[in-house]
Amino acid sequence: MASLRRMHRDGKLAPIFIFLPPALVLFTIFVIWPILNAANFSMYKWSGYGELTNFVGADNFRRLLRHSIFHQSLWNSWKLILASLFLQIPLAMTMALLIYRKTSVNTAFRLIFFAPYILAEVATGLIWSFIFDGDYGVTAQITRFLGMDQLYILADKRYAFLTIITVIVWKYFGYHMMIFIAALQSVPSDLIEAAEIDGASPWRIIWHVKLPLISHAIKLSAFFAIVGALQVFDIILPLTNGGPSNSTHSLVSYLYYFGLVQLNVGYGSAVGVCLFFLCVITAFGYKRLAIGKGAGL
Amino acid sequence: MATLEYENIFKSFGDVQVISDVSLTIPHGSFTVFVGPSGCGKSTLLRLTAGLEDVSSGKLKIDGRDVTEERPTARGIAMVFQSYALYPHMNVADNIGFGLKMAKMPKDERRRKVAEAAEVLQLTPLLARKPGELSGGQRQRVAIGRAIVRQPKVFLFDEPLSNLDAALRTQMRVELAQLHTRLGATMIYVTHDQVEAMTLADRIVVLSNGRIEQVGTPLELYSSPRTIFVAGFIGSPKMNLFSGPVAEAAGAQTYGIRPEHIDVMREGGEWKGTVQFVERLGSDTFLHVDADKIGRMIVRAIGDADFRGGENISLAPRPGFRHLFGKDGVAIQEA
Repeated sequence: MASLRRMHRDGKLAPIFIFLPPALVLFTIFVIWPILNAANFSMYKWSGYGELTNFVGADNFRRLLRHSIFHQSLWNSWKLILASLFLQIPLAMTMALLIYRKTSVNTAFRLIFFAPYILAEVATGLIWSFIFDGDYGVTAQITRFLGMDQLYILADKRYAFLTIITVIVWKYFGYHMMIFIAALQSVPSDLIEAAEIDGASPWRIIWHVKLPLISHAIKLSAFFAIVGALQVFDIILPLTNGGPSNSTHSLVSYLYYFGLVQLNVGYGSAVGVCLFFLCVITAFGYKRLAIGKGAGL
Repeated sequence: MATLEYENIFKSFGDVQVISDVSLTIPHGSFTVFVGPSGCGKSTLLRLTAGLEDVSSGKLKIDGRDVTEERPTARGIAMVFQSYALYPHMNVADNIGFGLKMAKMPKDERRRKVAEAAEVLQLTPLLARKPGELSGGQRQRVAIGRAIVRQPKVFLFDEPLSNLDAALRTQMRVELAQLHTRLGATMIYVTHDQVEAMTLADRIVVLSNGRIEQVGTPLELYSSPRTIFVAGFIGSPKMNLFSGPVAEAAGAQTYGIRPEHIDVMREGGEWKGTVQFVERLGSDTFLHVDADKIGRMIVRAIGDADFRGGENISLAPRPGFRHLFGKDGVAIQEA
């Protein structure tokens, strides 16, 4: 009570009463309520139309756990996380280290590498689907020029998901690169000079000085990469639409296809609930593992 | 042995000439201070010495070996930065031992050397701490420890005391002087604080606009400044410099006399004036005086002298202590 009185006296209470309720209302309507609704829907067999009457309990979840395509989607999302962490971020870091210094040439390269991030996901998917089109696309022209058989990369189970990973890395590494560039530019130059005088080679300066000093940015970037990988959806649809043979679904495209497109909203909600818990576990696990030990995000 | 020779060093950044034709020899074991106002090129000259900047033309030799194109690490130098430049993610021991680690020194030997340096600098209880957990003076010691542990030929200091408070600065000044005596190494120290320069140096290099104005011992610069710039820069408070009738009467363009070389009396002196402002330091009293037909000057009176603002006084410049400068700003030698 004493602290409340002090807050009132200091004028801190009024802003809380003015600004907190609208935020809470909006958050409840657009986040909490849909989550609770989805949890409710996930226990019904429901097409999305009409009343919720056909209560099936945990059947949707049992079906989900037995569905091989869901397993494949889960594995694909895991592969996307791994690719984001071990391909995208190292690539972004390499490029950032090469072009973080402020010169006009570096600025031009930054713009070039960042440009794919600005493109809408669907547009990106369409551009690359044209490039990989085995009949009329760039791939077709190349194979024709080389006198090879036509190559349908996106229709081949061996290459399709690898291609999706490539496109995702291409699209998002510029974003992580910009985070790293901002962090690298804030590393005091005298620390780097001190390391030079201490006899450190350029590589060891990166390893012993620059990377530890931008570890907060690396953690932040890794967090975005993981969350982003779990949300991949609208690049997959124009590229493969989950095919061939449902082998390239991510969790979200799986939800969309088997939940919404096939009018199994109850089942889709069960996928959504699983995805929600996966995100929560990832976020808290990451916080405990990476952020809790050192500097925060 | 670590003698440094600068031969016709020039440095420019784009069109801006920062260092112009600097030729200088720094003898082994000396404590040389580069001093000058902001922008005079003293830090640039130090960075050229360290190899952190490339010279535009000229040669730099250390012990007769041309190191102009050498990387910093190959020059056998260590540097203490103004900001200390301690690695914030490493503890004190790792900071001090970083150079040894880069030199691939075995861990045990490294640990022993770090412990020795820490002992000398009274840092032993702080070895496990991070720089963020240290005071300014402790950080300064760690930066010095990082320099001495590598046993370099030359120590470079870039305004290392400027971030410390006045009391700590005085203490660290003494510690640096003792360190120089103990190590006997060549040290080059950059500062804009002429008190630091006077107290630490056995040789001072006064720089202005990228050129060397004068090189000499502190007392040489104090008693025989070669130019008006040096006369005005060395000494605190600075030398009184007048042009006009007083200078003309002495056959010069500018007449200079230090505040401590003017005697203050109630009457009977050569010049008359009115006290405008009094600064009492306890040991000394500095009077800001408007002297008739001469202008504003500062005069030192010993102890707590009993003068007040608005009081008319008489001043007597001591014979033999005046400095005369010609039109070119260079000192005129008096017979």
